[in-house]
Amino acid sequence: MSAKPGATTPTYSPKVVGRSRLPIFKDSDLDWSRPDGRGFPQCRPALLQTAAVSSASGSAYAEFGNTKVIVSVFGPRESKKAMTYSDVGRLNCNVSYTTFASPTLGQGTDHKEYSSMLHKALEGVIMMETFPKTTVDVFALVLESGGSDLSVVISCASLALADAGIMMYDLITAVSVSCIGKNLMIDPVTEEEGCEDGSFMMTCMPSRYEVTQLTVTGEWTTPNINEAMQLCLDACSKLGEIMRDCLKQAASASDE
Amino acid sequence: MVGLSIGEQHFVKGGIAQDLRTDGRKRLTYRPIYVETGVIPQANGSARVKIGGTDVIASVKAEIGRPSSLQPDKGKVAVFIDCSPTAEPTFGGRGGEELSSELALALQRCLLGGKSGAGAGINLSSLLIKEGKVCWDLYIDGLVISSDGNLLDALGAAIKAALTNTAIPKVNVSAEVADDEQPEIDISDEEYLQFDTSSVPVIVTLTKVGTHYIVDATAEEESQMSSAVSISVNRVGHICGLTKRGGSGLDPSVILDMISVAKHVTETLMSKLDSEISAAEACEDES
Repeated sequence: MSAKPGATTPTYSPKVVGRSRLPIFKDSDLDWSRPDGRGFPQCRPALLQTAAVSSASGSAYAEFGNTKVIVSVFGPRESKKAMTYSDVGRLNCNVSYTTFASPTLGQGTDHKEYSSMLHKALEGVIMMETFPKTTVDVFALVLESGGSDLSVVISCASLALADAGIMMYDLITAVSVSCIGKNLMIDPVTEEEGCEDGSFMMTCMPSRYEVTQLTVTGEWTTPNINEAMQLCLDACSKLGEIMRDCLKQAASASDE
Repeated sequence: MVGLSIGEQHFVKGGIAQDLRTDGRKRLTYRPIYVETGVIPQANGSARVKIGGTDVIASVKAEIGRPSSLQPDKGKVAVFIDCSPTAEPTFGGRGGEELSSELALALQRCLLGGKSGAGAGINLSSLLIKEGKVCWDLYIDGLVISSDGNLLDALGAAIKAALTNTAIPKVNVSAEVADDEQPEIDISDEEYLQFDTSSVPVIVTLTKVGTHYIVDATAEEESQMSSAVSISVNRVGHICGLTKRGGSGLDPSVILDMISVAKHVTETLMSKLDSEISAAEACEDES
């Protein structure tokens, strides 16, 4: 995972992703201060690298604060013989956690459905008709779980698919927002997720301005949902630009 | 799975565009809902709901268990859905597993709310018997017998009816013991506690076909959908859960519009469901 010789170091600059000021956050409402000192609409700095795994068709490594994820993509390769003929391609996703990913030993209970949620997020954006009869495997490994795990996994997977050269309609980015009391905070960490009153996770295609997946839990009023949606769309488009920069750097580095 | 010819597909899509669906309904009209409670005598609560051709059964069983160490002041709820092969031959063996887990996840999200318990349909603290030691574990099982579209709404309604029908026995903690021992409990056979279901939400699935949304899609209409958003709204009008299914992307303004349509539809659906459930309970009391 060290930078390629001759390439500039990848961006680990604290980019303030998201709006700088939001009307609903008055000082009197601030009864929750974020553990890492961020403002409510501030995302963690994003470190993204491609080609992290040399043996895979494409791969990416993402580090968002303490959440570290590595995704590798294999394919398109031959489908298992047991599977019936299909004239569109197949996608197989798997999200797993290392045993040392979280402070408590072993996995939490909500991580089992991350594989199917990743599948749902990716199936709408990959052009499956470009690889009939074959399967693309996406394997995500969460090395350290620091909050917003699924959002980071989805964004990293989309970067890995782009690195593998799989045709997609657009890059997808995912951001989640947590609601604690009256406060909405973007990109929550594990402590914030543990006591949240509601969570809002959105996956969107930034260039097409379309939402591909939306998951809301907890109790939300319509104005809160509006605000959370605006926050997420803004952050998603900025994250999309960071991902594009990362891919361009990788492409120009390989040209040298 | 329905196979529709090109002509039939145009017929379905065109009808929806003109607010006249193949069975004569308008876009935001539900099929007749039929609720029957107490169908499973051995369960603590059960209900059967038929919406048109979709037929589902939900049952609630309560067992004594230990609260988890992360949340010692709350009981536990687990939702399992089983899609029976009688509904679709493809559901046999492992075929229905993906759909079952997707439905179970969406229902769990709607019923249990956020991590802190805000917006939960079921108050987990009411399931507690003794903090850190004894609590009720609720196992909510849904069985899909016949599938004609709109499974999530039907299961949501069935679970709401089953919870209304649920009677949990009263428990007396008989002996005070040292901290590391399990206390003795006495489960009463006579007295029961009814569940408070006023905050259990209903789920409304809006299916987008072309440029219009419909409520309560049949299996034919679902085969023509581009995407579907399932929104769960509670009595107060707050959103308790939202899941977008289907691969196609949606403009954010469309989603916000769907939320307002869902809130509007929920008012009629909630009152209809409440009257059906109380009628079913009254029927059951008489027999």
